[in-house]
Amino acid sequence: MKRSRRSNSPLPPRPLRLVGGVGVVAAIAGLVALVLWSIAAAASAEPAAARAPIDVRHLLAMTSIQAGLTTVLSLLVGTALAWALNRLRFPGRELAVGLFASAIVTPGIVVAFGLLAVWGRSGWVNAAWQALFGAPLDVPIFGLGGILAAHVILDGAFAARVLLGRLDGIPVARLKTGQSLALPAWRRFAVLDWPAIRGTLPGLAAIIFLLAFTSFPIVLLLGGGPANQTLEVAIYTAVRLDFDLHGAVLLALVQIGACSVVVLAAAAFGHVPSSLGPVRQQRWADRGWARLAQWLVLGLGVFGFALPLGAILVDGFGAGLGALLQRPTFWRSAAASLVIASLSAALTLLLAFTLSLGRAASDSPALRTGIGVPSYTYLAVPAVVLALGLFLFVRHLGISPDAAAPAVVVIANALLALPFAVATLGPPLDAIALGRGRLIRSLALGGWRQFTDVEWPLVGREAGLVVALAFCFSLGDLGVIALFGTQDFATLPLLMVRSLGAYRTNDAAAIAAIMLTLTILAFVAIPRLFGAVAHARA
Amino acid sequence: MLVLEDLAYAHPVRWGSYSFTMSAAAGEVTAVSGPSGSGKSTLLDLIAGFLDPTGGRLTLDGRDLLPLPPETRPVSILFQSESLFEHLTAAHNIALGLPPGTSRAEVAHKVATALEEVGLPGVGNQRADTLSGGQKQRVALARTLLRNRPVLLLDEPFSALDDDSRAATRTLVRSLTEAHHWITVLVSHHQDDIAALAARRYQIAAGRLLLA
Repeated sequence: MKRSRRSNSPLPPRPLRLVGGVGVVAAIAGLVALVLWSIAAAASAEPAAARAPIDVRHLLAMTSIQAGLTTVLSLLVGTALAWALNRLRFPGRELAVGLFASAIVTPGIVVAFGLLAVWGRSGWVNAAWQALFGAPLDVPIFGLGGILAAHVILDGAFAARVLLGRLDGIPVARLKTGQSLALPAWRRFAVLDWPAIRGTLPGLAAIIFLLAFTSFPIVLLLGGGPANQTLEVAIYTAVRLDFDLHGAVLLALVQIGACSVVVLAAAAFGHVPSSLGPVRQQRWADRGWARLAQWLVLGLGVFGFALPLGAILVDGFGAGLGALLQRPTFWRSAAASLVIASLSAALTLLLAFTLSLGRAASDSPALRTGIGVPSYTYLAVPAVVLALGLFLFVRHLGISPDAAAPAVVVIANALLALPFAVATLGPPLDAIALGRGRLIRSLALGGWRQFTDVEWPLVGREAGLVVALAFCFSLGDLGVIALFGTQDFATLPLLMVRSLGAYRTNDAAAIAAIMLTLTILAFVAIPRLFGAVAHARA
Repeated sequence: MLVLEDLAYAHPVRWGSYSFTMSAAAGEVTAVSGPSGSGKSTLLDLIAGFLDPTGGRLTLDGRDLLPLPPETRPVSILFQSESLFEHLTAAHNIALGLPPGTSRAEVAHKVATALEEVGLPGVGNQRADTLSGGQKQRVALARTLLRNRPVLLLDEPFSALDDDSRAATRTLVRSLTEAHHWITVLVSHHQDDIAALAARRYQIAAGRLLLA
């Protein structure tokens, strides 16, 4: 009996999508292979620098300790905040939830600068303390404490948003049962909340550990010296300050090895959670001490997260702004930042759609896993290492790193956002393929019509979120541009670091305020714009 | 005439193997009944091409349908729910039944005519998620009209409807089947649907079809 190809699948056959997905996988695999080859080749070719050997064990220990502590503290803070937000109803709650959701895109360098603006020697707290008590308050903002504070502000808020999605997703029937049994607050947490969030915690812990392990700008700004250096910062120091390429290569290999181990462990914990859960309304408030504790947690959370950001806006849009706007380098850097962020966002969207559509078109588990893997590239080969490999490769080809810089920064920034982009677009496209595949197939819709009439209107807002994430990631990236930046080619984060190095603190404050404003605008406006366009199309 | 001759299928996960033999004529509704899990939906999936049979024949007026994938089989299918894309308007959903490249004027004309025929003039601009269950099934039937396929498969299409909508939609299915000479195969476990529509009835028992 003659059989039709794949006629037993509910998914419409989409060979072009599969070819596209596999093509992107091959391209990214090729790029990673190129990076690894360049690093390995340089390791054998470069002479060792005649200076003190790099203490890899100390760097690895320091990186792991700060990432481990960040993970534990962020999960504790995130769980407490999610618990408080899930229970409390108040005007501005949506704003608070949005504030925590924006943590994922807030540039690390901006948060670090915000902490300095509040807790630093010339910060708000110190100024108030001195005015009240006549002596300075010595807050240890530089060193491990500052690094942890900045990481916990960002990653704790991120964790809170993810866990809130799980708590808000508890079925109403289960809540009604709990309410009718009059479960006290602690028992409600144990019986209803904990089962809802515990499955998410391992994956969330893995992603936070990786984010902290590969964190660059926060450690660069708040590290306070070699004792608190991490692998990423050590690679940057070796390349740009010590000109020790051999040492940088050694560190990069250690970094790749360590990250690969963590990525493999993370894969065993399940998927990387997305921060995009719906916020469902629910009316069962706790009473007594629990409610008091929730208000306290929320107040501390908002204070800890919003105060540094508020300080940036107040300080940045003050006296320093006018002088900054007079500097031609500012306008060049701003233009470079916007162009690179836009191109990087467009490339991320293209790669994420190609990978997600390819994966959704396949019902082979092996192929689906294979197409899903490249999205984790950045996590195993982080930005500074990727940039170092590309830096070595273009140098090997005899191309000036200056000439290759814009293209390299765009590509590296796009890969940086890809894990989050695929985690955002993949699940809804999978759901459409599984839920509507039979209908699409029975109507004989072509691939393009399936995309324009069914998929695009349904995932338009998610596509906007991908663009916003990628745009903000690129806008705030320092890891790649730190290696490729030149006097003529700099972005806003690099100009900010240079301004700090030149003691132009007012300029740095104004740049931080502008970056924060652009980030918030992009994060709020772009998904809405895409949602409106997709809705209009439907 | 749609003919199934020992059309066999062995379910890979659930226990159960099937061998279906039946015939369905143009211009009438052939009904298949049976309890939940008896294989009614499997039967429709085999006819629509979503499942590959392990043996037997499936022909339409003597033409072998088995080599054809679901996209090109001369079959339309109406599910219990989710026959429409809820984010699109009724008109847009119906227009998906027309081949790409159809002129805008022709689409508008054909959609309006189809809506008229199913008794829903004027709802074209409404989003599908604002329609009632009965209206949704009528819109799906309007799309079936435009697709102009000779076989219509109905998978428990009235289960989610209230009594009034149910009766009206049943009447519409019968009149469209007669008017367009469709070969309509209805699977249902509701005896009143079957009694109201079926010219020929089968019962599934132990993986086989018995003429009732």
